[in-house]
Amino acid sequence: MSRRRELARYVAARLALAPVMLWLLASLVFLLLRVAPGDPIDALLGPKAPAAARAALRQQLGLDRPLLEQYGHFLGQLLRGDLGTSQAAQEPVTAIVRDTLPASLELGLVALILAAAVGLAVGFSGIARPEGKVDLAGRLFGIGTYALPPFWAAMVVQLVFAVWLGWLPVGGRFPATLVPPSGSGFYLLDSLRAGNLPQLLGSLRHLALPAATLAVLLSGIFTNALRLNLRRALGSDYVEAARSRGLSERRVVLHHALPNALLPVLTITGITVASLIGGALLIEVTFSWPGIAARLQEAIAQRDYPLVQGIVVVVAALVVLVTVAVDLLVALLDPRIRF
Amino acid sequence: MPSARQACRLLALALLVAALTACQPQRPAGSVIVATKNRIDSLDPAKASRVGVMQVLSALGDPLYAIAADGRIEPRLATALPRLSADGLRARIPLRRGVVFHDGTPFDAAAMVFSLERFRKIGTLGYQLSDRVAAVRATGSHEIELELKQPFSPLPRLLSAIFLTPVSPTAYRAHRDAPLASRFVGTGPYRLASWSPQQQRLVPWERYWGRRPANGGLALVTLGNSTALYGALRSGEVDVLLNSGLEIDHQQALHREAAAGRLRETVGPAMEIGLLSLLTDQPPLADPVVREAIAHSLDRSLLSRRVSLDIRPPLRQLIPPSLPGSDPAAWPDYDPARARGLFRQAGYCRGRRLELPLTFRSDIPSDRLFALTWQAQLRRDLDDCVALEVTGMESTTAYDQLGKGSLALFFYDWIGDYPDAENFLVPLLGCSKARGDRCLEGNSALSGSFWTSPGLEEELQRSSRIDGPQRIGLLQAIQRRTSRANPYLPVWLMAPVAWARPELSPPRYDGSGRVQLGELRREAGR
Repeated sequence: MSRRRELARYVAARLALAPVMLWLLASLVFLLLRVAPGDPIDALLGPKAPAAARAALRQQLGLDRPLLEQYGHFLGQLLRGDLGTSQAAQEPVTAIVRDTLPASLELGLVALILAAAVGLAVGFSGIARPEGKVDLAGRLFGIGTYALPPFWAAMVVQLVFAVWLGWLPVGGRFPATLVPPSGSGFYLLDSLRAGNLPQLLGSLRHLALPAATLAVLLSGIFTNALRLNLRRALGSDYVEAARSRGLSERRVVLHHALPNALLPVLTITGITVASLIGGALLIEVTFSWPGIAARLQEAIAQRDYPLVQGIVVVVAALVVLVTVAVDLLVALLDPRIRF
Repeated sequence: MPSARQACRLLALALLVAALTACQPQRPAGSVIVATKNRIDSLDPAKASRVGVMQVLSALGDPLYAIAADGRIEPRLATALPRLSADGLRARIPLRRGVVFHDGTPFDAAAMVFSLERFRKIGTLGYQLSDRVAAVRATGSHEIELELKQPFSPLPRLLSAIFLTPVSPTAYRAHRDAPLASRFVGTGPYRLASWSPQQQRLVPWERYWGRRPANGGLALVTLGNSTALYGALRSGEVDVLLNSGLEIDHQQALHREAAAGRLRETVGPAMEIGLLSLLTDQPPLADPVVREAIAHSLDRSLLSRRVSLDIRPPLRQLIPPSLPGSDPAAWPDYDPARARGLFRQAGYCRGRRLELPLTFRSDIPSDRLFALTWQAQLRRDLDDCVALEVTGMESTTAYDQLGKGSLALFFYDWIGDYPDAENFLVPLLGCSKARGDRCLEGNSALSGSFWTSPGLEEELQRSSRIDGPQRIGLLQAIQRRTSRANPYLPVWLMAPVAWARPELSPPRYDGSGRVQLGELRREAGR
């Protein structure tokens, strides 16, 4: 079988399995939410609403129906692409996802680009003199940023740059006094498209601290991955062969070792992207970033069943898509991979 | 030495950082930014049940009546207090003329009836109205009549609730039976310019019937944690900060700043109480002597000082002091000697120690601190008689368990939906089905005490039918009667506090505990 056909079969199998996986996940979330202690009615009305009011709201939300009927209703809606209505906000779940997912993606993507730039640069910097000062500093950076507790790091960054120095906003996604840009929900993109400089600067100012913090926390992964793989690549036979052909060290590193060392980094990037789709909860909470992770956390606290189910299904679907895309990309770039 | 290219890159980066930090957005003239922790998921008054959304709605809408800072009831969209029929079952309310909704349509009796009916039908707190009001009808172009299920003396106070603010029937035509989260079309001093759950922009309503706002508009922002809120006010990013969701340490720091003249601080009327609920139908708390011993063992002053840094004053009654019916010393005071005597009487202390499980809400930092401090205080005072086993439980789970009678001793708080004593007594003591002193069904069971007393329910109902000094006397008698049984132990009072930057006028509260946002203004020369 040709490699292209193998690859097509692999991707088709992964995509065909995706609905089964989503169904299993959705069913599990549906069940776990109902098994978990706590009642959405308590979250909505508080503990002291009269029994009649509680019963009326339970009926209004369909929570009085048998569990199997609720499950059937949920699956039926899901098949029609309807994620239901949030019990707390009384808004369609799709609208809430549409509002919050771009915020998380924007933060995640900017942080990822910064993290990759910083992490790869640091990881690459020690290559000239392994075990030298620069290499040691890079290793320390890699381990240190990886080991930093995200919540603590975010709080320190917030206190120093927003509270004490007052350089950047403490939280939120957009200046309170400006009207947010409309469009895709990606504020940087929307304000650029509109050519609105105050909106763009406002978005950038609010994005700077959370994105930089998340980038620093993620950069260690890139530093360590590149450093280890590059060192391994530089000690391999094909690199020795290249050197023996008289190629310059610069050419050996950039054209022979680096491309091979970057392949595992690409896989790591894929995993990181997949994890960022669900949002960086601690960063979102600390910087009051209105992303999907913070919204999910609140929905769980409110026992907002449709919203939790909807967010989990959407995030899971995106994660499946991203992992398949990354697998595909790695397979295209690395001819050694077999399926 | 860095190369020229590296130097250029560094310079570009420095310029970008400088541009980002320097380019602060211009604020519209006279506008005020107010920060709070509360997200506003929906602006529909029918779905309003939380403090944050009530605060926003108080700027966007008008109630029929308002409670002034001195506690007086003032007509707002009504022009006079309700005129009651001889049997007290019909209340006629004259409405203000010349009021215009934010969509330009006129406010009249039909609009008020539409809004009240809509609230009764889909309101989260719809039971507050439908439990008392059988029908609402227009009796003139600007007069409505409420048909009551039984005489209800706190009616004007109920009608002061902002969740009963009228909405435009034209704007809500398609939402008569369904909520409308992202818009609000009412009659208030501000109209909504933009909304998201984290950010709302309000601009003065040009055709407002009353006094125009003193500022050029409001931007209300939600910041997700206490550090961010505190930092935002300190750095001048926001102008006003409301204390809801703010940790005690930050409140104390802001209080010190205010004392030093660097901020302006205003404390509003307290409408929230912290209390302990005691499960009275199961041993060991089924024994009233044990409950009384616990009541005497509670050192409220110490707890207030250590846990809340004196921000939450000790409370020995269920009704906030600013409301009629208050009885400041109704509950037993701290008396460890008396507590020891009572524990002994109940068979404890002499080699037998009462192990008492105390549950607190793990998602509220001060609750944990309360539980640990009280545990330590009891260890200090009555170590041989009683010991607390403290357990944290997430709020929603705890509320669910509370009504099932699973929590022997639970610490939580309660805020009334509208400022009246009834809203603090009935939700805690109401009981629809009882056997002796045991409440089988009703609010008392839902609140975790399962306590009642023969005749108490009738007294509670009578207290909402009568008025004046007679009512105040009855409310005090109910409190005294409850305090003798100790099914609940009031702990402290939680008042709303607002801080403003020094260049702003001091925030003012109304009698419902809400900041008068329209009165915030920048002061010349500050």
